[in-house]
Amino acid sequence: MQRWLWTAAIGLALAAMPARAGAQAKADIDGGKLLFQGMCAECHGAGGAGGDAPPLNRPRLQHAPTDAALVNILQNGIPNTAMPRVRRFSESETRQLVAYIRSVGKLSDAKVPGDVKKGADMYRSLGCASCHIVGGQGGNLGPDLTDIGFMRGPAYLRQAIVDPGAALPKGVLQVPSRGYAEYLPLRIVTKQGGEVRGIRVNEDTFSIQVRDQAGKFYSLRKADLELLEKQTGKSLMPSFSTRLTPAELTDLVAYLASLQGEP
Amino acid sequence: MKTIIRVMLLAGLAAPATTFAQVPYDRIVKAESEPANWLTYAGSYKSQRYTQLDQINKQNVTQLKPAWVYQLRTGGVFETSPVVVDGVMYMTEPPSTVTAIDVRTGRPLWSWTPKIPDDVIVIGSPPVNRGVAVLDNMVYAGSIAGHLAALDAKSGALRWDVAVDDNKIGYYLTLAPLAIDGKIIVGVSGAENGIRGFVDAYDAKTGKRVWRRHTIPAPGEPGNETWGGKDSWKTGGGSTWLTGSYDPELKLLYWQVGNPGPDWNGDFRQGDNLYTCSVLAINPDDGSLKWTFQFTPHDTHDWDANETVVLFDATINGRSRKLLTQANRNGFYYVLDRATGEFITGTPFVKQTWAEGLDAKGRPITKPGLDPNPEGILVYPSIQGAANWHAPSYSPKTGLFYQTAVEMGTIYYKGEAVYKPGIGFTAGGGRTINGDDAWSAVRALEATTGKLKWEFKLLSAGRSSLLSTAGGLVFGGTEEGNFFALDADTGKPLWDTQLGANIRGIPVSFGVDGKQYVAIAAGFALFVYGLP
Repeated sequence: MQRWLWTAAIGLALAAMPARAGAQAKADIDGGKLLFQGMCAECHGAGGAGGDAPPLNRPRLQHAPTDAALVNILQNGIPNTAMPRVRRFSESETRQLVAYIRSVGKLSDAKVPGDVKKGADMYRSLGCASCHIVGGQGGNLGPDLTDIGFMRGPAYLRQAIVDPGAALPKGVLQVPSRGYAEYLPLRIVTKQGGEVRGIRVNEDTFSIQVRDQAGKFYSLRKADLELLEKQTGKSLMPSFSTRLTPAELTDLVAYLASLQGEP
Repeated sequence: MKTIIRVMLLAGLAAPATTFAQVPYDRIVKAESEPANWLTYAGSYKSQRYTQLDQINKQNVTQLKPAWVYQLRTGGVFETSPVVVDGVMYMTEPPSTVTAIDVRTGRPLWSWTPKIPDDVIVIGSPPVNRGVAVLDNMVYAGSIAGHLAALDAKSGALRWDVAVDDNKIGYYLTLAPLAIDGKIIVGVSGAENGIRGFVDAYDAKTGKRVWRRHTIPAPGEPGNETWGGKDSWKTGGGSTWLTGSYDPELKLLYWQVGNPGPDWNGDFRQGDNLYTCSVLAINPDDGSLKWTFQFTPHDTHDWDANETVVLFDATINGRSRKLLTQANRNGFYYVLDRATGEFITGTPFVKQTWAEGLDAKGRPITKPGLDPNPEGILVYPSIQGAANWHAPSYSPKTGLFYQTAVEMGTIYYKGEAVYKPGIGFTAGGGRTINGDDAWSAVRALEATTGKLKWEFKLLSAGRSSLLSTAGGLVFGGTEEGNFFALDADTGKPLWDTQLGANIRGIPVSFGVDGKQYVAIAAGFALFVYGLP
């Protein structure tokens, strides 16, 4: 409760604050940039261009339409997402972070290059839909891409196409848990000699749940396994680096970036 | 009809009588002689969290079955360590409710909830409670409102209630009090609020405070010079948020002291910051200090020293020693002489990147340049520590110290230090490197040396509290909800079951009607297991 009161108090203080003199505003943005680079850039990308976490270089942030809401996120994180409260901030640190994040939002160079329509055609012709769902349609082996343009920045999307294993999503879902790689490829050999290849669905100290390419589930006790190889850095998705021209890649990224979720 | 009534009467008469708490101090001193009861937070004043019960053992542990489950009425982080006396369990529900339960059925007998103001300040931990103390006919519990209450053990009626200190400036209680001869000892949480920590002793019958031992010396007292000569000592933290241990023969109370404040920015508190990150040996009569030992001088990573200190006796180099040991949050396992405070040995029990080692007196030889900074710096162990509140266990049968060791790093940040009463005074923080890159292990250390005997890896960086038993078992629980038993000699997993939510509870064992049980809280429920 107290935390909320404090948040509200800061929010009010920010709202009540008269427009600051230019020098102070510049100092706040600079201070906020330093804080952002240390704590936020790894997920949100340098300059808030997006990465593992949503881009922030857009005028309206879904969870933070107001400064008070942004302060609340900085102080508390966003429940049930990968966004933590990184640390507690002083009032001036909070002000600086808000100033910087808002300054990034005003850059409005967030337009992603490429031809969305051509990218959509490319998505179809490459057969991406055999493994990915967009708007409820498609296969279920890989991540649902319905709002991928909202959740990820263009640099991340590009890397995910060129080198999928380097960009396994981390910790957005409740399962397995925050911070764990999702769609982690596994190679498993049981003590009876059976082999299972698939992706990790969930895991605990004593058991592991796996889904193979055919969609079949396996529930395995670790004590029954001869080998449990977690193929970190790999993905079941093939790289498309050699199958796309640079222009085609740019179009595909533009299409994915345009997927902002169901209205 | 007549027959039925007669049968019911007979059943009633034959029903085992439950006697409510009648726990004189002497019973707690000899707690190990009545293993069917769990009379104090960590099982005995030695805090070994070991049970002499051996009915559940290596041979039959696979047959364990749930006996009953008690569900919380509201959610919360459930970290209780129940106390069990003569067929009644006294345990706490988050944030500060005390409930008495019939251990034969799991049915509550009474429940008491203190008044918690809507604007209660709880910074530095979730609003939890780790248990009660029982003495004579009373049950004692702290609250997040910063109070200590004494309840009638039979009815749950309030006998007395005192404000330990002012919650408006950040003091609150999460620990199980410790009951000694006529006194109730408590510590406080709040080092993330710029409090000045202390250990308090209250008259068990009246609630009158007998003494207060501040953990940070005032000007003119020895040790104040370690605070940089400014007012930093006034807001220096040093909370005392986990239950201490006691040696009735030496008549010394051992209490652990937390981190200095602000946590991650040491600029305004130059010096060792005594007695933060220390253990204090306290005379229980007047609160005076017999000796002190500081584990982490001038801490800037929140590696408080509140972890349970375990007492046992052993022969080292041909000499019989009274020992005090701790697996410290800073990553080192320490063995001290508990009569004198002399450092005997210390060794890392996890990956740590901040110290070259310990010198002959146990002081860490720190590596330069690893203080938090605004850009962030990666250091092991993590901000939550190699150890934390989760309980260790020591088995006199194996001579091993069991500890869940957390293998995780954190990117530490230094922030701006601005003190305002009741507002977090932490000046920084950290981002843990979690997920697939972090893990924990139940480690069995040779208790006199810290040498690793075996380990059992847990998937994630959870904080499993442990219980060791005369049946040769170590019980614990994982973040993913696995309640498990390991072979205490080898670490081999012998049994596990899935409780459906992260396990934050602290396992205890007790007996009733000739049967042994093990209890542990997971998610929003308390589970009790026994043999069929």
